[in-house]
Amino acid sequence: MSAVAVDQNLLEAAVGRLAEDGLTALRKKALSNFGKTGFPSLRHEDWRYTNLAAAAELSNSCLSEPSPPAAPGSVDIGQLTAEIDAHWIVVSNGTVIPETLSALQEAGVSITPLSASVNSVEVHIDDPLSSFNASLLSDGLLIRIADNAKVEKPIGFLLLDDAETAAGLSQTRFIIDLGRNASAAFVELHRSSGNNAHFANSVIQIELGTGASADYVRLQERGAGHLQIGRLQALLREGATLNYTSIDVGGKLIRNDVVATIDGAHATANISGIYLADGKQHIDNHILIDHRVGPATSRQNYRGIVGGRARCVFNGKALVREGADGTDAEQSNHNLLLTDTAEIDTKPELVIYADDVKCSHGTTVGQLDKTALFYLQSRGLTLEQAKILLTRAFAGHILRKLPLENVKKYAHQMIDRKLDHLTGDSGQ
Amino acid sequence: MLEIKNLEVSIGDTQILRGLSLSIGTGEVHAIMGPNGSGKSTLALVIAGHEDYKVTAGSVHFEGQNLLDLAPEERARKGVFLGFQYPVEIPGVNNAYLLKAAVNARRKHQGESEIDAFEFLQLAREKMKLLEMDPSFLNRGVNEGFSGGEKKRNEILQMAMLEPRLAILDETDSGLDIDALKAVAKGINALRDPQRSIVLVTHYQRLLDYVEPDYVHVLSKGRIVRSGDKSLALELEERGYDWVQEAASA
Ligand SMILES: Nc1ncnc2c1ncn2[C@@H]1O[C@H](COP(=O)(O)OP(=O)(O)OP(=O)(O)O)[C@@H](O)[C@H]1O
Ligand SMILES: [Mg+2]
Repeated sequence: MSAVAVDQNLLEAAVGRLAEDGLTALRKKALSNFGKTGFPSLRHEDWRYTNLAAAAELSNSCLSEPSPPAAPGSVDIGQLTAEIDAHWIVVSNGTVIPETLSALQEAGVSITPLSASVNSVEVHIDDPLSSFNASLLSDGLLIRIADNAKVEKPIGFLLLDDAETAAGLSQTRFIIDLGRNASAAFVELHRSSGNNAHFANSVIQIELGTGASADYVRLQERGAGHLQIGRLQALLREGATLNYTSIDVGGKLIRNDVVATIDGAHATANISGIYLADGKQHIDNHILIDHRVGPATSRQNYRGIVGGRARCVFNGKALVREGADGTDAEQSNHNLLLTDTAEIDTKPELVIYADDVKCSHGTTVGQLDKTALFYLQSRGLTLEQAKILLTRAFAGHILRKLPLENVKKYAHQMIDRKLDHLTGDSGQ
Repeated sequence: MLEIKNLEVSIGDTQILRGLSLSIGTGEVHAIMGPNGSGKSTLALVIAGHEDYKVTAGSVHFEGQNLLDLAPEERARKGVFLGFQYPVEIPGVNNAYLLKAAVNARRKHQGESEIDAFEFLQLAREKMKLLEMDPSFLNRGVNEGFSGGEKKRNEILQMAMLEPRLAILDETDSGLDIDALKAVAKGINALRDPQRSIVLVTHYQRLLDYVEPDYVHVLSKGRIVRSGDKSLALELEERGYDWVQEAASA
């Protein structure tokens, strides 16, 4: 397999084409960071299953010419709001559509362009994809939730890959800052349009202040040919709670990194996800919970349904640092393999340097329970119906904990649509 | 209703049923008793269509049709019901959802329209009342976290909703307390009908006190070794199985 690297000269030229603004210094720094590493290769332990050659190749071809201006596309916000009631911010190929932003008026929520506020925050550029993201960032958003604010209506991010007229490359960056005892919910919906190639790279930073809590749901249903790398970089202060759920059904190559750093006692990080893959899809989830302070709780709970010739990766790590006594960390990853040609690589890791910790992990890779299938058939359901029912129930284990009724409903529909493919033709 | 002739069944390389014959007429209640491991559940599962059990000889006809040609769901839709000795827990599949899907599968087969949500709930509540089951069981996962007795009651609930032509109840009375046994017996008796046949697989006379069988059979080592009326069950209770087995091999 020939390795293709991002051409640093092309990247530098593309960065140079971006307008001078508050992000210029950051871009330069990120560009230089990236120059030292490039994309990680398969030799890198964290990337041994996920090959970025196609992403690099596509990046090079997109970087060689100026990117076309972002078009709002044909999003029907009314329709979307009817499905999931949220303040929708539309982001097309990494560019925020201003009208959707100015419409958002909510007490306790302030949103500013990152270019205007970059000096007040720390922008994460500590890994290759994050520095790649920052170097090419046209702009991002800083979202602040005020101390004690309880934001009822979720804030939605519609991330669109517009590949209608040309292949595309997009960088998205949000920095979310929840003040003391603030609470809010976020929905991140990934969609794409068009048949050209697209590579989306996003970094979401979220900091939860003392006693703050956030529900964050990521719903990914982009087109079959599209590539996506995404990172959630979370920091939890004392007593903060993060409930994060990530659902992947779309895309050709998907890689998600979730890093949650627990920096305060009595914080709770619930990180869960579900991935459904068929055809030749590749979905890779890497999770790291960094317990720096104890006592604190973390849960990683991922499930996968893999058919066709798809390949999925789960790598969940709980790192309990020295002094993080009283940590309670659990990991689980259960998978259903629907075909002989599907593949799952699952690796839970516990790295413990503290005392008095409660840590456990469990993973399974299996098929549908034959006894249960027969039981359902004996009640008049066809084998096909029985399979769909059991598979849906398997996924439902993650979905039933989702916050927000209409998000839950949407997620169920998203999964049902995918299951029709997966179980109907065994995902071939 | 059900005609079984010289049935031989194996699982893997082990033969379990060794030439079993049994004839069940419409409207009759039969009890099948016999020692552990004699093949009672095997018989029940073969009739329901479990694919692990291979029929190597003999035949099974249900209302004149060759049952062995049909998929398990086709048998169910035609009105064959098996109450499992060990009902399966299916977490995440809603009990009401399954009941409704089962009822509709049967209705569709009979050329009837689907049951509407209100009618379904009415019917389910009515049956649950008869079985002294709390309505909250409808909203739980199928048998998920049910106690042994609750699982058995749930089997009877399914039977009551499906109104099968032939019900085979495999040790539905095992693990039931006295009150549950009475409730289950009430459920079974409510379904007793000149058009319906019932097979009770049981180890105990207790159930037969409440649901009186027309015939009692003893299954031993894969064969019916003795048949009689309800007095045979009483005799077995008193004398055990040795004498029947001895008589059979003599
Ligand atoms: N899947 C299987 N694999 C191997 N042996 C089996 C299997 N199923 C049944 N058997 C064997 O077949 C024999 C008959 O089992 P079966 O369950 O039919 O007995 P039973 O009469 O119902 O017993 P019990 O009264 O204990 O319920 C037993 O010896 C059992 O171990
Ligand atoms: Mg048995």
